[in-house]
Amino acid sequence: MKRSLFRLTDMLELSIAYIICFSLNLLLDYAKTLDLDAYILKAFLKNFIDCQSLIVSLFTFIVIVFHYQMLERRKAEIFCRILVGGTVFNIAIRYMLDCITVLFFVYLLLALVNLHLGFNLASNFYLVLIFVAYILISARQVRKYENF
Amino acid sequence: MKIFKFIVSKIFLRKAILGIGVMLLLCMANYITFTAARSILSTFQGYQETKYVNQEGVYIANLDPDSHIDMNIIGENGTQAVYDYLNSNFKYAFYTDGFIVSVPNSDDMEISLGYMNEQYNRLNGFELSQGTDLYFDYQLEGEIPVLIGKGLSKTYPVGSTIKIEESVIGRPLTLQVQGVLKQNAYHSNYYALNSKTYYNFSILIPVNEEFINHASMDIQLNGLMDITLLDTSKEEIANLSEIIKDNLGLRFNFFSQKENYDYFNEYYLHSLKIIFITTFILLIVITCLSVWNALVSVRLMLKDFTINLLVGLSYSKLKRIFYGYFGMIAFINVALISIFTAFNRYGCWLRKDATFATYGLFGLIGMDWLALLSVVASDIIIGIIIVESMLWKIKKVPISLGVLQ
Repeated sequence: MKRSLFRLTDMLELSIAYIICFSLNLLLDYAKTLDLDAYILKAFLKNFIDCQSLIVSLFTFIVIVFHYQMLERRKAEIFCRILVGGTVFNIAIRYMLDCITVLFFVYLLLALVNLHLGFNLASNFYLVLIFVAYILISARQVRKYENF
Repeated sequence: MKIFKFIVSKIFLRKAILGIGVMLLLCMANYITFTAARSILSTFQGYQETKYVNQEGVYIANLDPDSHIDMNIIGENGTQAVYDYLNSNFKYAFYTDGFIVSVPNSDDMEISLGYMNEQYNRLNGFELSQGTDLYFDYQLEGEIPVLIGKGLSKTYPVGSTIKIEESVIGRPLTLQVQGVLKQNAYHSNYYALNSKTYYNFSILIPVNEEFINHASMDIQLNGLMDITLLDTSKEEIANLSEIIKDNLGLRFNFFSQKENYDYFNEYYLHSLKIIFITTFILLIVITCLSVWNALVSVRLMLKDFTINLLVGLSYSKLKRIFYGYFGMIAFINVALISIFTAFNRYGCWLRKDATFATYGLFGLIGMDWLALLSVVASDIIIGIIIVESMLWKIKKVPISLGVLQ
């Protein structure tokens, strides 16, 4: 944590962003299981359930925004770390590990909720893959700040 | 305009990810608002339309969900006996539709036939754009006056005749166009008020006692499912239930005015409340995320903004630029939602789905425009919240400190 690019607030922001995306997916999964009598509610929810993957995927954009702004704000810090002997590779690895740790804990938390509600654990696994892809892409961005 | 272009291209678009973020969040907020507004408006329209059933002495038939339809028991004699009883003891509104026939038309749509009696026409008739209203005292052997949807009026103007080879009375029919329905004439489903059937490609045939007596069992039975009994009482309804049970082996429920009110208030009001609350919560979450995104943008662009403020840009001008930028994003989103909806509506024409094919400006009907209006209203509220929070954040940082960042 001492050498991490993350501060506590960043960790919190990233966790909230992940939780929002996983919860949205969970909420739509839950909506699918509802046995509604009211046609009007069914028709209303159908509009969202039919585009579940698209809506959730678009929502994951907030995680991209987080990674982008986080690295933009750490530009100077990354450069200074390199000046005092740090390597881009190590900084990027530490950054990835931090992100993956947050992702792992959030996924674990939401997986427990999924398990409690009796939903399929694999239903939100695609989000993990999307987030890992975002982490890998954003880690490449670290290299950009080698020359401040 | 020059400064607006400069700030958008040199500051906002340089960090396009943040702009895309706002756009996607707003797009979702718009989609949610549009869907909810359309559901609520459509239900409200349906409620207004079916208000006539909430009158004293009006009962609506409904097949009991636990009653099993055994086609071996049901015969033409049985349905005829029920209608004989209805004709001699009740005033009733008869309406049934969905009978598909092939009638040549310029749009190559399959045509749906609807049948209604005089009572129904009086209670819940259709408004016409051309021609005159129906009359019901015609002879089956002659030409039958009919109303047609707007989509058919190009091929069959008022006064022209339509020949149908196979009809529900088992012989060819000659129909004479008496009037043309108003564009996008619709009826709502009794049990799903937000669901509508459009009559742009329908033919409405008036039915009288003679017609029903000669009609096939299908139409008689279908008509019975939603029959509306007028000026009657619980006792008379109980007798009719017995007659139906004895002749068709079916158990029907008849809902009174009070039961209809209770049903509407419990079922629809409750559903609408849930839709409204869900939409409101989702909009709050999206607004919070948009504000977070906006504050992040300010944090990253603070230096650029403060430099411009230092060289003479006023806060009020910056505010106008922010509103302009947000207005631009909102406009793109509203346009996207409109295109998406128009494409959905156009899909019905491509699928030749006659019951949902509608006419309208840019493919959108009145309800869509009203829903878009609510989208614009929600965008204005979200826009004010975002722009004001951005300005608050900028004003919090002294210009000299911002420039040094």
